[in-house]
Amino acid sequence: MIRSTSSQTQAAQRASLKDLFARWWFMTPAALLLLVTLAYPIGYTVYISFAEINLGTFRPQGWVGWNNYLNVLEDDRFRTAIVVTAKYLVFALPLQLVLGFAIAILINVEWAGRGMIRAAFLIPLAIAPVIAGGVWRMLLDPLWGIANYAIGMVGVSPIDWLGDPFWAMVTVIFIDTWRWTPFVVLIASAALLSLPRELYEAAELDGASRWAMLWHITLPLLMPVIAATFVVRWLGAVKMFDIALASTNGGPGRATSVINMYIYEEAFRGLRFAESSAASMIILFVTMLLTAVFLRTARYFEVRH
Amino acid sequence: MGKSSSPTAGKVPLKVGHSVWMRRLRIWAGVMVCLAFQFPILWMVMTSFKHQRDIFTTPPTIFFTPTLGAYVHVLTTTDLPLRMLNTLIVALGSGLISIVAGSMAGYALARIELRGAKTIGLLILLSRGVPPIAIAVPMYLVARALGLMDQHIVLILAYCTFLIPYVMWLMRGFFMSLPKELEESAFIDGCSRFGAFVRIILPLSLPGLLSALIFSIILAWEELLFALVLTNRAATTIPVVVSGMAGDSLNGPNWAALCAVSTMSILPVVVFALLMQKWLIKGLADGATKG
Repeated sequence: MIRSTSSQTQAAQRASLKDLFARWWFMTPAALLLLVTLAYPIGYTVYISFAEINLGTFRPQGWVGWNNYLNVLEDDRFRTAIVVTAKYLVFALPLQLVLGFAIAILINVEWAGRGMIRAAFLIPLAIAPVIAGGVWRMLLDPLWGIANYAIGMVGVSPIDWLGDPFWAMVTVIFIDTWRWTPFVVLIASAALLSLPRELYEAAELDGASRWAMLWHITLPLLMPVIAATFVVRWLGAVKMFDIALASTNGGPGRATSVINMYIYEEAFRGLRFAESSAASMIILFVTMLLTAVFLRTARYFEVRH
Repeated sequence: MGKSSSPTAGKVPLKVGHSVWMRRLRIWAGVMVCLAFQFPILWMVMTSFKHQRDIFTTPPTIFFTPTLGAYVHVLTTTDLPLRMLNTLIVALGSGLISIVAGSMAGYALARIELRGAKTIGLLILLSRGVPPIAIAVPMYLVARALGLMDQHIVLILAYCTFLIPYVMWLMRGFFMSLPKELEESAFIDGCSRFGAFVRIILPLSLPGLLSALIFSIILAWEELLFALVLTNRAATTIPVVVSGMAGDSLNGPNWAALCAVSTMSILPVVVFALLMQKWLIKGLADGATKG
């Protein structure tokens, strides 16, 4: 009796071991690849950020403690980059969300061309950000660009879109908004389609106005999607690099040098790998922290509804 | 939304007059907004067919004799064909690897009870917030040390860092939406877990897999930062070419060439996107809301 149970447990153990292997087997390729390509480089960045790089061998050497971090934090260009990035995020993200959801609500009219309009919003999304930056640079050219010609027709004097610090920032936010608003429109459109019709029919019978329905039914129901879209856009926006590089190249001066551009230039133009790694770690830490906060908030909206 | 204005709801005698006007206004406004978003692309395609003399004009030229000059120039006198091949190799390679690894891991997260799966899921989600620049420096140093600089494989691996988590999350949502009974009946028929995954789950997930694959390929297709850092000649991709052309302040802007390269580079993506629009929009929406 006892013997049979123990052999049974052994068989069960073997089976569960086999099962355990089978289960983890699914995770193995992704885990291995991410360990090599993601975890290891991050670990290496931590190491470099406390070391010096020998520019003869391109290998880290020595241990300098927090020196690299202090150097970065005292670097004016780093502080400028932080301010530029913050400006970009604070203006671009809300703008894209509000515009995106407003357009989605606007085009959500049942007619023959609705599907076509929605499909057309896929097209700007198919434009690589670097191409968006390059093409807009052409459209906004102070001399030959069509933008200045168009505003000239309504009597506005030409604007130096790319050469003036203020307008260059506006331009970068504008191009980014052009590229990413369609993304929000598509997500919002899909979410609008999935809203329950019955609620609107009931509200209409009660004599609710369109605005009332929008404010009291649509927007509250959309809150989880709005929050989720914000998180996804945030994750994309902290990586913003291509558009600034292709349109303004961070200039004039450092007026549009977002943090990714600062680190890129420090590392690959200035060959200050150790300092740039320290800057990377600071950014990584802040990004992770804020991402966790935003995810928490998004989850809160999801659970509440 | 907007159903009181739909023909089927016409019986409801509420605010009908107002609605008809509102409806028309909204349709027109929607079309205008949509066209406004297309304009830069239209202008880019037009410029790519212009002669130099039609580009630098005031007022801007709208009617012009088209020329293929810019296309012939970039295709024959630059090494653009090679760059296109590089882009294709890298995008396909990283897309396929990510689909295999990502869908397997997505399945594990969706269906298999693993100790620590929640932590892993959270880590993957957080890893989507890692700015590529944070791993570009060590990748560059390691690639240099291993002699892998300027080779396709190093870009493919670099792209896996953001594609695998992306595919994983997208497919996790897709697998969770499939009924559990599917695999259970397969297990009863003697299928192993992997057998059930390959023979039952994957065929049913083709739409999801396809849209995840296309998204991955597009993301790899347009990636700039890693391509700038990890390649310099042999394995360079189209985005690097475009950024070089856009930022060329030495020779002045060659807009026709820039537009020709851009048009050629977005053409396959636009065609794909329009062909697969239903799945892509669903993929976009799921990727955002289920992430």
